[in-house]
Amino acid sequence: MSDRILGILLALFAGWYIWEARSYAVEFGDPVGPAFFPELVAPPIGLLGLYLVLRPDPDPTWSRGRYLLAQMATVAALVIYALVLQPVGFILSTLVLVACLTAMLGARLPQALAGGLATSLGFFALFDWLLGIPLPPGFVFAG
Amino acid sequence: MDIIPSLAHGFAVAVQPVNLLVAFIGCFVGTVIGALPGIGPVNGIAILIPLAFSLDLSPVSALILLTSVYYGSMFGGRIASILLNIPGDSSAVVTCIDGYPMAKQGRAADALAISAISSFAGGTLATLGLTLLAPTLAMAAIYFGPQEYFALYIMAIVIVGGIATGNPAKTLVAGLLGLAIGTVGIDSATGVPRFTFGAYELYEGIDFVIVAIGLFAISEFLVYIEQRQTGPVEQVPVGRRTTTLRRLTYPATSLRAGLLGFVIGVLPGAGATLASFMGYALEKRVADKDSSFGKGNPRGVAAPEAADNAAAGGSLVPMLTLGVPGSGTTAIMLGMLVTLNVQPGPLLFQQQPEIVWGLVAALYVSNVILLVLNIPLVGIFAKLLTVPPHFLMPGVVVVSFLGVYSVNQNAFDLLLMVGFGAFGYLLRKLSVPLVPVVLGIILGTPMEQSLRRAMAASGGDFSALFQSPLALGLHAITACIIIVAILRESRRRMDEAATARSA
Repeated sequence: MSDRILGILLALFAGWYIWEARSYAVEFGDPVGPAFFPELVAPPIGLLGLYLVLRPDPDPTWSRGRYLLAQMATVAALVIYALVLQPVGFILSTLVLVACLTAMLGARLPQALAGGLATSLGFFALFDWLLGIPLPPGFVFAG
Repeated sequence: MDIIPSLAHGFAVAVQPVNLLVAFIGCFVGTVIGALPGIGPVNGIAILIPLAFSLDLSPVSALILLTSVYYGSMFGGRIASILLNIPGDSSAVVTCIDGYPMAKQGRAADALAISAISSFAGGTLATLGLTLLAPTLAMAAIYFGPQEYFALYIMAIVIVGGIATGNPAKTLVAGLLGLAIGTVGIDSATGVPRFTFGAYELYEGIDFVIVAIGLFAISEFLVYIEQRQTGPVEQVPVGRRTTTLRRLTYPATSLRAGLLGFVIGVLPGAGATLASFMGYALEKRVADKDSSFGKGNPRGVAAPEAADNAAAGGSLVPMLTLGVPGSGTTAIMLGMLVTLNVQPGPLLFQQQPEIVWGLVAALYVSNVILLVLNIPLVGIFAKLLTVPPHFLMPGVVVVSFLGVYSVNQNAFDLLLMVGFGAFGYLLRKLSVPLVPVVLGIILGTPMEQSLRRAMAASGGDFSALFQSPLALGLHAITACIIIVAILRESRRRMDEAATARSA
């Protein structure tokens, strides 16, 4: 079933991709234009997608229960981290992220906090001070 | 093009202090990356590329850094195989078969030394092969025009699907998706923005670094969440060597397995994992007289390690001479070189020989550094394996964010990376391989350019793509690979149906 869904999505993608590419018609310049290459790539994607619809592989075991929850929470945490990294700054946001991830993976809270602190300070020292790659200081350290 | 004076110039480049330092750091970091299960070479190299950019390394130094990481990870992969019975990366799977039994018998230090020495032998053999083969192949590649290159790129995309294990339809679709992702951004010939949804962040295209780090590193974390083992892993202590280093050297085994590994590495699409399996199988056929393979035979440790290190060296040949990578790791290196305005291929050997020969010389140096690092310091690397992964894996995530952040310093790229991470996780669950996706993204632009150049030269005549004998030959190989893939797929279906009936 999973492969059939994948196949349908691939076929839909191929259709949208070729339809979108058709709108890039340019009359001047080179003889083939910007739409040509996408028009070559899309049909095999669509055909292979249809093949997967007709002849799918057995389903993988999808994660369930708390594992699925943990994965979704991780993606949400990473999205939030991406958004707050610049305004909040590297040290604080990394401390919180690493502490949360470590705790989620099974460490005790004090251990997780220590891990977060060590990771954030360690990487800040390594990148910002030693290697000279500027990291966002954020409002915590913006003096 | 004389090899010896060129190589001498190369050594002059390689022994510059900055390059020696970079090689040393690369070897060390590479061994760590290889040793830690869950961070493979592709992964590690993808994370390190942005660092190479932000440190303003010259192209040759950046390339030396990445290749020594690559060689180093081939060395490091065996440590976890031998001590934990968990392969550090996929090419070290076979090393478990005889390495772990040896460690159980109290010969862990011997197994580590054997594998280090045969890794060195395999790596050096491959570097020698690269030295001899690359200039010759580069000279042949001068006859390549745009239509030949187009044919070669198609072959590169298809061959990965033809040879790799698993469902060929999925491998092919992965490569095509990569090509499609590669078309995002402003079309360089006409200035038309394509597939950008009006987001100006996408006008310059999607940086392959963001895709690679998302697909490999972030998805690895998501996979780890559901696969993590509870409880500490038992590690066999390293102990002391029971005999002299001389008696732990297996020259015949290393030579056989190394040669085989090099040839497999040169072929696009195969790579180090296949090489280690084939190297082990060959050695078992040749040397297993008392059927002690699998019970801790030292040759069973030496053979796969020589083969996978040799394959790593071999895989650099098509990347440097033709600009067509055959594996995920070399694809990422190619992407980095293109970003640094260095176009690998035959002209590179003429125009910037210091890059090619500096790299080749640095590989000899790296191999020596790795041997020196890995024999006395193996205890330190073994200690690293005792760090619980719940501290390690979040650290890898943070380094991934840092790497992507350092490219453009914006949140958009980070979100894109997380998106590709989730996408990569779904692909992995559906057994769609990730390496062809990255290969497609990196090859997409040169592939389209060579196609359009060929069409411009012929005035839009499609048949021009099939007129030169060389291009025809390449297309014929591609066709053969597709036929083989179809046959393999139908056989796989039949086997599956047979097992389903008997079950």
